[in-house]
Amino acid sequence: METNIVFIVCAVVSVVSAILVVTRRNPVYSALFLMLCFVAFAVLFLNLNAYFIAAMHMMVYTGAILVLFLFVIMLLNLKKEELGKEYGFGNKLLLSFLCMLLFTILAALVYGVGFAPAKSLPSRFGSIEAVGNAMFSDFVLPFELLSVLIIVAMIGGIILAKRKL
Amino acid sequence: MTKYIILSAALFSIGTFGVLARRNILIIIMSIELMLNGVNIALIAFARQYADTTGQVFVLMVMGVAAAEVAVGLALLIAMFRNKKTVDTGDLTMLKE
Repeated sequence: METNIVFIVCAVVSVVSAILVVTRRNPVYSALFLMLCFVAFAVLFLNLNAYFIAAMHMMVYTGAILVLFLFVIMLLNLKKEELGKEYGFGNKLLLSFLCMLLFTILAALVYGVGFAPAKSLPSRFGSIEAVGNAMFSDFVLPFELLSVLIIVAMIGGIILAKRKL
Repeated sequence: MTKYIILSAALFSIGTFGVLARRNILIIIMSIELMLNGVNIALIAFARQYADTTGQVFVLMVMGVAAAEVAVGLALLIAMFRNKKTVDTGDLTMLKE
């Protein structure tokens, strides 16, 4: 867990690219910075012994969701005047202060709690085998419900985006 | 451990800022993704801390929900853009009229 240099690099990259995601005006730049952020996350997951999750994260987020975003952005082909207005500088300043306050409260809570030293890991922690065992024994019902949710979302997406029913 | 949770809080806050301060729906959906990913980092860090795979299973569930949310959100966005020719939430006042 204490691979410090990897953590620092990934944390800086992810925070900076997250800030760029929410501040860029052009959605294509936002989507590409979001991709950079997700790659940094995947490295952090590897750093936390979640090997299978890191692979799934790369596939689902950078592979599927980001491509969906870029596909929709290219499909809409927004002109500059179609991007719409944004809130004024004063509002943004106020909101950024509010969000910094939120962060400060969360960080203070985390510091206040403090954590016991990490437990030692079983030998195959985070492998497909371990995650699959947990998923198909204790969490079968949520897993099946999730598949129902994804089917519903798929059908809903098709119906919403269809021109005529 | 603490540093991962702090990073997760930072990303959650940045995502909150994006949702509140932007009016472009595409960027609002991306900010929601950022918030969900901040939570994922916290779940993975706790799974590592307590040597328990449950947190990792939860992250897979969150990924599924995020994928469903993006699919529906972008379909709504396309339907909206077809009718109103805008991605600005300030122009979406159809229910008021």
